[in-house]
Amino acid sequence: MSEIDYYKESLLIALDSRSIEIRRLVLNGLEGGGRGHLGPALSLLEILRSLYDSVMLHDPANSKLEMRDRFILSKGHGVLGLYAVLAMHGYFPIEELNTFCKFDSRLPGHPESGALPGIEFSTGSLGHGLPVAVGMAASSRIKNQNWRTFVLIGDGEMGEGSIWEAALHASKHQLGRLTVIMDYNKMQASGSIKQVLPLEPILQKWESFGFEVSQVNGHDVTALTSNLSTPSMSVGKPRFVLAHTVKGKGLGVAENSSKWHHKAKITIEEVSMLREYLA
Amino acid sequence: MRQAALKHIHQLAKKDGRVVFIGSDLGSGTLEEMKIEYPDRFFMEGISEQHMVGFAAGLAVEGFIPYMNTIGTFFTRRAYEQIALDVALHSLPVRILASGGGMVYAPLGPTHTSIDDFSLMLNIPKMKVFAPADAIEMLDILDYSLTDSAPMFIRFGKGGEKIVTESMERSPLLPKSFGESNSTVTICTTGVLLQHALEAQEILSLKNVSVTVLHFPYLNVLEISNFFENISNSEIVIVAEEHIPRGGLFTQLLHEFYQNHLSVEKFIHLSLPASYSHKYGSQIDHFASNLLTGRAMADLAIERLASR
Repeated sequence: MSEIDYYKESLLIALDSRSIEIRRLVLNGLEGGGRGHLGPALSLLEILRSLYDSVMLHDPANSKLEMRDRFILSKGHGVLGLYAVLAMHGYFPIEELNTFCKFDSRLPGHPESGALPGIEFSTGSLGHGLPVAVGMAASSRIKNQNWRTFVLIGDGEMGEGSIWEAALHASKHQLGRLTVIMDYNKMQASGSIKQVLPLEPILQKWESFGFEVSQVNGHDVTALTSNLSTPSMSVGKPRFVLAHTVKGKGLGVAENSSKWHHKAKITIEEVSMLREYLA
Repeated sequence: MRQAALKHIHQLAKKDGRVVFIGSDLGSGTLEEMKIEYPDRFFMEGISEQHMVGFAAGLAVEGFIPYMNTIGTFFTRRAYEQIALDVALHSLPVRILASGGGMVYAPLGPTHTSIDDFSLMLNIPKMKVFAPADAIEMLDILDYSLTDSAPMFIRFGKGGEKIVTESMERSPLLPKSFGESNSTVTICTTGVLLQHALEAQEILSLKNVSVTVLHFPYLNVLEISNFFENISNSEIVIVAEEHIPRGGLFTQLLHEFYQNHLSVEKFIHLSLPASYSHKYGSQIDHFASNLLTGRAMADLAIERLASR
């Protein structure tokens, strides 16, 4: 399939009831905080759902389980999606989503490890997650343990040099248990990726850096689960998965809209309008 | 100092399975014995300081204690955000071993001279900042580093520094005092300038001027309450540091004195200028041009005492 085919599929694919329910939780957070990055939280939801529902070994009752698979949300601004998935799995009460961004909350506008179970590493400034994930993956090798490390990066984040430094080293160290997933929603804050900083050919770039590459419809839960469950087929090669997604997926007005990338003021009326898409 | 420190990291690795070493293209032969004995805890990475610091944080969050080494400015300037966010925000026990402190790399120009490292690192919450005077003190700090879970920055000297300290049994967080108390002159210093302060002390003693040298290998909190009386009774207090004027030892002393409602009227501050140097030569050339040699400090003290 061509990139355009993947794009069309990701745009057209219908969301099932669980995906709609997770989006309701995202809106709970958005309403509670009266602000937030909506578009990026919706493009990555099915990726997170696949990881936490089916792919990763994890235990909400023991978030520090030694043999758990590690996940870092390098594009920390998509955190409303992560909070919704973690709450759905019982890492913390669903009602706590209403505290998003509040003074005493455990749910800040970018993920912070420590207070909230399930947040592996604090992120927010872009380009940090992959180097840290490479360190984690190297740790599992030193300890001779077989847990996997997943890191989700944004497409705009590919502009950070540290991503490429870490990619070189992941390949050098032959970290076959590391999987880099890119949420390719093809938009960044000020417009389309093509306008701001063209990234193509993405797969060839990562392949040339020594990764085993594949692409998938980032809203097709079955395809995602099948893809992400598969460890690297090439010995010692880290994996790169290009997930074609739609910014704002599922909430019509926010789809492919840079206006809904981030809003610092969101009214109850606006949230009600967004909820209608999930009715 | 650097060679002694790197060798010692191998000893720490023998003692503690959490110790890993990460270098950045440091040249063949670096820690070769550790590389052979513990190949999975030895990493010689490429020229990628941002990655290197994040990588160290990833290892540390999984329970390892990474000791990283490259040229100091490449850590403090290039990877500042990684040090602040990946390491300090997470309170991880990453050890930043910064080669070429101060003007060690003077001949290489301002890209390599680490004139602002204290300021940059002291501004990062939780980062503990050390500047040992010689190899003995360096090893004390490295031994201490296995017992403290805080992030640490350790400034390296040029190497081959004159040994002027003795191995301590007490914490390297405390200052060291040299000479009699109730002296006419107090010299406060840090890092390799200690040997120059001691030289000034020797020169002045020949002129019957008593000098106390207070050396601060640890810069975050200056435990000086025991020395307030000495400092207050001195006629001159010279604060000498191999750093730009703001953000280093002098700034830290001002904080301590302000908090204790004490006067800084007698202070004389000797430092590097607040500019990128376009003079090269050697480290000692820069000490000489900024009154940071023992002779210059002694002459200044004599001149000031005469004018009082």
